[in-house]
Order: sequence, then structure tokens, then C-alpha cells
Amino acid sequence: MTVIKETIVRRKKSSDEVVISLSNISKKYTITHEKPTLVEDVSRILHFQKKEEYWALKNVNLTIHKGEKVGFYGPNGVGKTTLLKIIAGISAPTKGSVKTKGRIISLIDLEAGFHPDLTGQENIFLNGLIVGMSRDEIKEKLKQIIDFADIGDFITAPLYTYSSGMKLRLGFSVAIHAEPDVLLLDEIISMGDENFRKRTSQLMKKMFGNGTTLLLVSHSIQYLKENCNKLLVLSHE
Amino acid sequence: MLLFECFKRKRTIKLFMKLSKKQRHWLDFLSAMTQKEIKARYKRASFGFLWVVLNPLLQMLVMGFVFQFFVPVKVDNYFLYLFAGLLPWNFFAQSLTKTTPAFFYERSLIKKAKFPRESIILSIIFSNLFHFLVALLLLIVALIGDKLLLEGYGLMQLLFYALRMLWVVPAILLLVFFTVGFSLFTSSLNVRFRDVNFMVALAVMLWFYATPVVYALNLLPEFLQPLFYLNPMTTIIEMFHHALMGLPITLPNFIWVAIVIIICVFYLGLRIFKKESKNFDDWL
Repeated sequence: MTVIKETIVRRKKSSDEVVISLSNISKKYTITHEKPTLVEDVSRILHFQKKEEYWALKNVNLTIHKGEKVGFYGPNGVGKTTLLKIIAGISAPTKGSVKTKGRIISLIDLEAGFHPDLTGQENIFLNGLIVGMSRDEIKEKLKQIIDFADIGDFITAPLYTYSSGMKLRLGFSVAIHAEPDVLLLDEIISMGDENFRKRTSQLMKKMFGNGTTLLLVSHSIQYLKENCNKLLVLSHE
Repeated sequence: MLLFECFKRKRTIKLFMKLSKKQRHWLDFLSAMTQKEIKARYKRASFGFLWVVLNPLLQMLVMGFVFQFFVPVKVDNYFLYLFAGLLPWNFFAQSLTKTTPAFFYERSLIKKAKFPRESIILSIIFSNLFHFLVALLLLIVALIGDKLLLEGYGLMQLLFYALRMLWVVPAILLLVFFTVGFSLFTSSLNVRFRDVNFMVALAVMLWFYATPVVYALNLLPEFLQPLFYLNPMTTIIEMFHHALMGLPITLPNFIWVAIVIIICVFYLGLRIFKKESKNFDDWL
């Protein structure tokens, strides 16, 4: 069972507006071994066994206000990623309710929505829609996205011709221009060359000035203390 | 009191706008995914979109050749008859075999992003629908050419013929509803039970022979015929035959059986999908 301890690293005047509120969240996983699900189900019924269950989270309550920078820290397997997935709406909790406000974007895997045979521009539209932008919004920001990704003439070339750095920059550029209300970062992203990192951190600073909420997962407590104003330490009871 | 009414109305309008914005995004997303399906298929082929037309034409030639000479079925204009049934059947079979493992193939996306999951299934079906409609249009051109040049139809006759062709509209609607419902059902189950994919591949093969595509239903013994109507594809294919070839539907009263089954399948597919899609992430 996971326990969350909250520590305030530094006070920051944040607004009273709640962006994320989890109440009594529990998440149960069914453990399967090497056998296929159907075989396991049948043999379990034949042997009168109960399902093997694992509660990744139990009765978790969490409230995050607008503009907060929250760091998640804890050992492997404590449920950090599960928690983030529930907040992002990728996974549904077994029990409890999730209330979120605004656009939530997770920068876990930026290239998941790309298709290798489509051009960079076509992929911008596809990925933009996946992260929740409307078509008009993407059209409006298309030039900004392309400029920030800095891929030049390659924008009309199919994506399989891109270097991995270019793909990463394009994915990041789309996500960041979607102007998320909440940004989820699993592990610190250090990507691209020096120049791109500099521009990224500039843009991030501007975003947080505008009240974007940040949820950051990391194994480096030092990094979290430096970059967050609230620290949530997850541990097994 | 009036103020309260105003306030309430304002809220409902706001709610409606919010809803419509969400729905608009859903439509945008679905159309983008469908375009991706269609575009990506021909992206690196030199003939490009020409394949959309070329594919059914070549298929028509090959199938026509094979069945004209090797399968003796007593149906007039067998080649056109065959194609009128084969097109909707191919749409159904290809959609089903492609959608069933689709969630599993798109697992990397499903595990990373929140988006309407059904768009994966619907985009495959709509892209197949696009190809089906192009091929159907070609077939209709071929049919009208046949009537004009070989059978010497007059203008009035041609007009009646064209009017009867409107039957394809309900036929296509039923076909799409059935395909969507069935695909949602199999693809959702396949996330947890991967055997479904293999069962569907086998079932589609058998199903083909249980549907009057290469043969005609009235060639079968009469006591068997009602049984065939438990298969909604029989009704759908017969509707296409009726619309395009002018053949009567063998047992018209049984259309309702198909419609009821299709509605049930659609409802069941939707229910299973809604229940399972929340937990796709856990099983992929």
C-alpha cells in the first residue's frame, strides 16, 4: 500500500483554483503469469482460486492547485507512473473519482503518435489532435511549431527520413505549443543539443509564468528540490 | 424568477457549446485518423492514388476470369453478380480482420496518450469504406454501360434502373453499422483474449461460404433458406444484389431478422467497448 507524504519545499503564492483533485483513488491490477488470460481464467475457476490481485494504489487523496510545481519521488514500483496515468486519463481508477481541469499533456513518449510514412507537417496535425488541439489551433500555430522544432526543409519530407533528434524536437514542439494547463513529465527530459535545451528552458519558464501546473517524476531528490515547490514522497507502508 | 431562467438558459448554452467543441474535436480527430489511414497506404507507391481505382479493376478482371470459366453457377451475368456481392463482402471481411488486432497494434499510442480509442477502429472502417465506395462507383458505371450498350435500355428503363439502385443506401448503412458493431466487439475482446484474432480469421473464412456471394440463395433447398438469414450478411448481400442486379430478395420478410440482429450486435459491441476501453492500458 502506498502512502504519500507531502512536504512544502518553498512557499509559492499559488491560486486557490484546483486543477487536479483525486479522492479515494484505488487501482487494482490483475496479475497474470506466463499463461494466456483465457487459460488462466478457466483454470482458476476449475481450481476455485481467487484472482491474483495487486493494489498499486489504495485510497489516495490528492489536490493540486493551479500553478504548482509538484515533484513525485519514491522507489520503483510504488505507483508513481500509475498515479500519473490516472491523472492523464490514460488509465481509469478501479475506485474513486478523478476531477481535472483544462488540457493535460504528458511528455512521456513524444513520438507515439507519429506515422513514419507521413510528412512532418502531416504528423504535426495528427499529433496535435492527439494532444487535444483543434484543427484551427494547429493551423494558427503551425509556423511557430515548425520554427521551434528547427527542422527546415525536412518538414515536407516523410518522417522516416528524420534523425532521432529531429523527431524528438518535433514531438516536443507540438506538445509545448498545445499550451497545456498541466504538464506531466516522467523523468527529467534532457534532449536535443545545447541550443535546443536553452530554448526549451526559456519556453518552459514563460509557460510557468503563465500559471501552467507541472507534475514531475524523478529519482533525483536533489533535482526535485531545486525545481519544485511541493514534494510528494511515495513509499510502501 | 426571470433572472433565474436566464441564468439557467445561459448555463445550458454554455454546456452545449462545450459539448459541441468536444464533439468537433472528436470529428476532427476521426477525420485526421481516417486520412492518415488512406494516405499512408499509398504514400510510397509510384501509382499512388491510382491504386484506389486500379485495385478493384484488376480484382474484377481476375475474379471474372476465374469464376466465368471454372464455376458453373446458373445466374445471369454471373461476373457482375459476383462483383456486386464481393465488394460489400470484402469491405466487411477486410475491416473485421484489420480492426480486430488494431488496439493491440496501437498499444504504444494507447499507453501514452489520452484520445478517443474508438477512432482507431472507426478510421480503419471509414478508410475501407472510402475504397469500397470508389469500387462501387466503378461497378455502377460498368453496370450502366452494360445496360446501355449490350442490352439496349431506353431512357425510361434506365431511369427506373437508376431509381432501384437507391437501395444501396440502406444496404450500405446496414453494412457499416454491422461492421462497426462487430469490430468494436472483437477488437475490445482481443485486448485481453488474444485468441479472438485467430478465431476471427477462421470465422471470416467460413463465413464467406455461409453468405451468398459466389452462389445464389435460391439455388439452395427451401428449408435451409431461413437459416441463412440468421447471418445478417446474407440480407445485406441480397440487398446489394437487388439494387444492382435487379434480383428479388429470396425471403423479404426476413430482412427484419437481420435488422434486429444488427442492432443487437451494434449495441453489444458498444457496451463491451465502453466497459473494456477504460482498462486497455492495463492489458496492453
